[in-house]
Amino acid sequence: MVDINKLREIAKEVISRDDVRQVIGYRPGTYGFRARPAFVLEPDDVDELIFTPACVNNLATYITLEEKLPVPRGQEPDSRKVAVMVKGCDSRALVQQMEEKAYDREHLLILGIPCRGVVDMDKVNARFPDVLEKGEIALEGDKFVISFNGTKEEVAKDELLADKCKRCRYPTPLVSDQLLDDEVERFAEDDYSDIETLEKRSQDEKWAYWEEKLSRCTRCYACRNVCPMCYCEDCVLNRIEPMWMRRSVDVSENTAYHIARAYHLAGRCIQCGECQRVCPMDIPIMELNRKFYKDVADLYDYEPGTDAEASPLLSTFSVDDREDFIL
Amino acid sequence: MAETTKMAEDTKTDFDPNIVAFLCNWCSYAGADLAGTSRIQYPPNVRVIRVMCSGRVNPLFVMNALQQGADGVLISGCHPGDCHYMQGNYFARRRFNLMRNFLEYVGIEPERVRMSWVSASEGAKWKEVIEEVVEGVKSVGPMDSFKRRQLNW
Amino acid sequence: MNGKPRIGVYVCHCGTNIAGVVDVEDVVRFAQTIPDVTVARNYSYMCSDPGQALITDDIEKMGLNRVVVASCSPRMHELTFRKTLNGAGLNPYFLEMANIREQCSWVHQDSIAATEKSKRIIEAAVVKARRLEALDQKEVDVEPAALIIGAGIAGIQSALDIADAGFKVYLVEKSATVGGHMAQLDKTFPTLDCSACILTPKMVDVANHPNIELMTYSKVEDIQGYVGNFDIKVRKKTRYVDVNKCTGCGDCATACRQAGRISNEFDEGMGMRGAIYLPFPQAVPAKYTVDKETCLFLAKGKCGESPKCKDACQPGAINFDLEDEIVEFKVGTIIVATGFDVFDASLKPEYAYGQYDNVVTALEFERMVNASGPTGGKVIMLERGKKKKKKKEGEEEEAPKVPESVTFIQCVGSRDKSVGNEYCSRVCCMYTAKLAHLVRDKAPDAEVTIFYMDVRAFGKGFEEFYDRVRREGVKYIRGNPSEIYKKNGKLVVRAEDTLTSTPLEHETDMVVLSVGLCPRSDNREVIDLLKLSQSSDLFYLEAHPKLRPVDTASDGVYLAGVCQGPKDIPDAVAQAKGAASAAMIPMVSGKVKVEAQTSIVDETTCRGCGFCVEVCPYGAIELVEINRMGWHVNAARVNEALCKGCGACVAACLSGSIQQRSFKDLQLLPQIEALGVK
Repeated sequence: MVDINKLREIAKEVISRDDVRQVIGYRPGTYGFRARPAFVLEPDDVDELIFTPACVNNLATYITLEEKLPVPRGQEPDSRKVAVMVKGCDSRALVQQMEEKAYDREHLLILGIPCRGVVDMDKVNARFPDVLEKGEIALEGDKFVISFNGTKEEVAKDELLADKCKRCRYPTPLVSDQLLDDEVERFAEDDYSDIETLEKRSQDEKWAYWEEKLSRCTRCYACRNVCPMCYCEDCVLNRIEPMWMRRSVDVSENTAYHIARAYHLAGRCIQCGECQRVCPMDIPIMELNRKFYKDVADLYDYEPGTDAEASPLLSTFSVDDREDFIL
Repeated sequence: MAETTKMAEDTKTDFDPNIVAFLCNWCSYAGADLAGTSRIQYPPNVRVIRVMCSGRVNPLFVMNALQQGADGVLISGCHPGDCHYMQGNYFARRRFNLMRNFLEYVGIEPERVRMSWVSASEGAKWKEVIEEVVEGVKSVGPMDSFKRRQLNW
Repeated sequence: MNGKPRIGVYVCHCGTNIAGVVDVEDVVRFAQTIPDVTVARNYSYMCSDPGQALITDDIEKMGLNRVVVASCSPRMHELTFRKTLNGAGLNPYFLEMANIREQCSWVHQDSIAATEKSKRIIEAAVVKARRLEALDQKEVDVEPAALIIGAGIAGIQSALDIADAGFKVYLVEKSATVGGHMAQLDKTFPTLDCSACILTPKMVDVANHPNIELMTYSKVEDIQGYVGNFDIKVRKKTRYVDVNKCTGCGDCATACRQAGRISNEFDEGMGMRGAIYLPFPQAVPAKYTVDKETCLFLAKGKCGESPKCKDACQPGAINFDLEDEIVEFKVGTIIVATGFDVFDASLKPEYAYGQYDNVVTALEFERMVNASGPTGGKVIMLERGKKKKKKKEGEEEEAPKVPESVTFIQCVGSRDKSVGNEYCSRVCCMYTAKLAHLVRDKAPDAEVTIFYMDVRAFGKGFEEFYDRVRREGVKYIRGNPSEIYKKNGKLVVRAEDTLTSTPLEHETDMVVLSVGLCPRSDNREVIDLLKLSQSSDLFYLEAHPKLRPVDTASDGVYLAGVCQGPKDIPDAVAQAKGAASAAMIPMVSGKVKVEAQTSIVDETTCRGCGFCVEVCPYGAIELVEINRMGWHVNAARVNEALCKGCGACVAACLSGSIQQRSFKDLQLLPQIEALGVK
């Protein structure tokens, strides 16, 4: 369990430093059980910081998402550090960003939070519908304790746990300057059985499945916006010259968009699952990314977001790479 | 009587695939040229785009070609170890292995996404590659799934 | 180019090569309907003078700013038409070719399908042409030096020509002496010149020439760079002999404990040497070499009390502490003249090579008839592996037996699909005739028979020589033997005389297998260094079989000699001189144009991830710090002199920031659309 006072103390220490611009953490959401990101600029603001199983967001996306405004003439850019709180899965995004040289390690002050799992908000809202007052979620042992309206209810962990946490292999952040709790040992494995099931279907079934899902896409680009690995300033998938796909909302263009984005994430997606979480049309985007993830692990023995010194997957090759599909 | 009618129908709907191929200049394009110089005959279904190296070919070209209406895509380069630019074909191999598996997973038949190694002296092999790819695409029929809808206002 | 594209489309008939299958008029009508096409014409031979004039006139009179030529493969005439554009004042990179011959009219008999396909191909060329850009071909200086790999007759000849012209030559030879296979020969056809007599003066020249730096017993380890600026690394293997002190006296070889025990490669295993040796008496350089595999001191750590060679050497040249030396230098051009191996006759087990002592290859026989060879030029029966009978007191040594009949078998390992060599080795008919003549000369009583499939006597003086040899009594029997076996102590060649349809069992004392010429077994090393291609016969591939026989696909790298394909000495010399001349073109002009279709980075969108840097095979890209709106960020930057235009970086880039000129995504994607949409 993260000691909330210790967390706030550390945050206060950090933001008080001269060389730190902001601390990115979590604070309670605007209603219900939600949590939302916090951007602490002053030491006094640390009191709103929390960490609970409701803190689902991957804050690593803000590191690369941050807009670099033009620097006025004669001034130097603000090169102060950014402190960020990351769970185990989130930390892999930082590692992968560093593998891609998005920034130097010294730019970050990483406050790692070993995590035992977060909730799936849809499951919480289904179990406790229409809760508008602010509520709290806590994890005690193998039960979630849900408090709201003066009441407390215990729910089995499995019922509300996010699916991605059931296959979490990196509960403890892989990189950090400080850990805000004790390390958590790996408690799950990922056997890609969900992908294998999908792989076994017939070609017609596969396309019928994806056609139904991808025709719902409204091209809101929430998946791309939330993804910590999507940080190109001018995404190729939106360009007109050259035009890879149209921006029109129909199953053909939507499919092209999702195939292209998934391919761009091959060997880069660190499985944080945010894209699927934020999709307003409930498209199982992770089922696309996980297919690439599985093949990359099987064929090329590579896991993104684990080693900042590693070479990116598609910039390497082996003379022994499989080629039985080649005439 | 009924059987003959069916056969006639089959040949009427006999489908002539349209296949876009990316050939590397030094090996496969030269090999295809050699097939020409040797007057080796093969089906006309393949349209070639010349690139300098198979390593230039972005897997998203495959997706794009299929979306535009191609029934199949072929990428052909130098044999491993013989790439004119040393290693382009190794990268191509990795990229296409992943893309082909992924497209199959989404419902696009693997017969539509083909890769081959054809060297500058393999004119005869080029013919075999074309025949095999055309046969494969014929067997899975026209590309329909996520083909771009043409706007006819 | 400013303004709208004004594209000219030229459809070539190529005589009937294209027009015989493709309806060129229909294709031209179609081309005229494509937007931005200002004019579309057809003509019988676009590459001819009047054909090119059509283009030049239209550029001038109609203000064309892009040209599409629908004809043969760009690999054929892209350069031709680029020059046409240049001559008309249009940047040569505004050309796009549509291959409707090699990849259309020549391979599809169906006229309708071929015409339809031609239209699609031309449309794709037009959409690409719309988006072509003017490119600059940069010039770089050329280092006035050449590297020649291999010092056989071809390498030697190229070296002498280039050195005589005043350029520096680095001549690198793998073995301990120059001369190659020609040094092993006795007489050469058809003039019966003594091979050593015509070769050794050139060998000496090459060692003494002030412009030639000769490196024998050396290997090229690494080649980097591009035409005009190659960085070469050579490993000079150590001979364990200080060449400055060695006088070539030979005392060491006589003293060597292994003298007479090691099979001599130069004699094709028919003669012996010691662990310290000179390959042959006229070897250049005349410096001894210690073979570290067979030297007792080097291989086993101990040679008796002390190495005998060292004791015998008066100038004290032998030094077991000497190490390999790596030298590095720059050259402008490279000639590959690595020669060949002879066919391994053991791959034809029916000929019992290696089984019977007196079945020999032509090269072994060549060493036998050579006056400075292991038998002193005498044709004698061999007793390999048999220990010499100890001479009893007073007894005279048994005189070596002279064979009563010698039989030659042509086409061993050539024109033979079963061993993977379909080609004809070109020299064997003539060298067989020559060797047959030498047998008649040295063993006049011996009966000489040649089993042949065809006799190819195509060169100057060849037919006359073949005639002469037959008149000397050499019997030619047309038939490829099926096997050789032994009966009653004699070798028997089983064959059929196909001209009389008579099966034969021809008894003979000695069989000489006319083995063909094969690519060297260590070919791979040079291929990897230079990215050479191979023809289907596995010899190195020339740039064009008719018009560019000494060039390779890589600028600045040339071929000379048998490494490019089997040929005899006059042809090897001619090609070597041709390669030297070709190599001198960039060196004389001092400048050479480098690849224009290089990659370029849009530094406003590059996210500095370095994927392209990792992927580039030539290290041509690096990350540099740039100032983007006040922020210090990294972006990729291409060194255009090193970039060879492969485009691997473009496919690796996720942000679309790095693009390859002439093969940009915005140029290729419209092509995909034009070809993909039915």
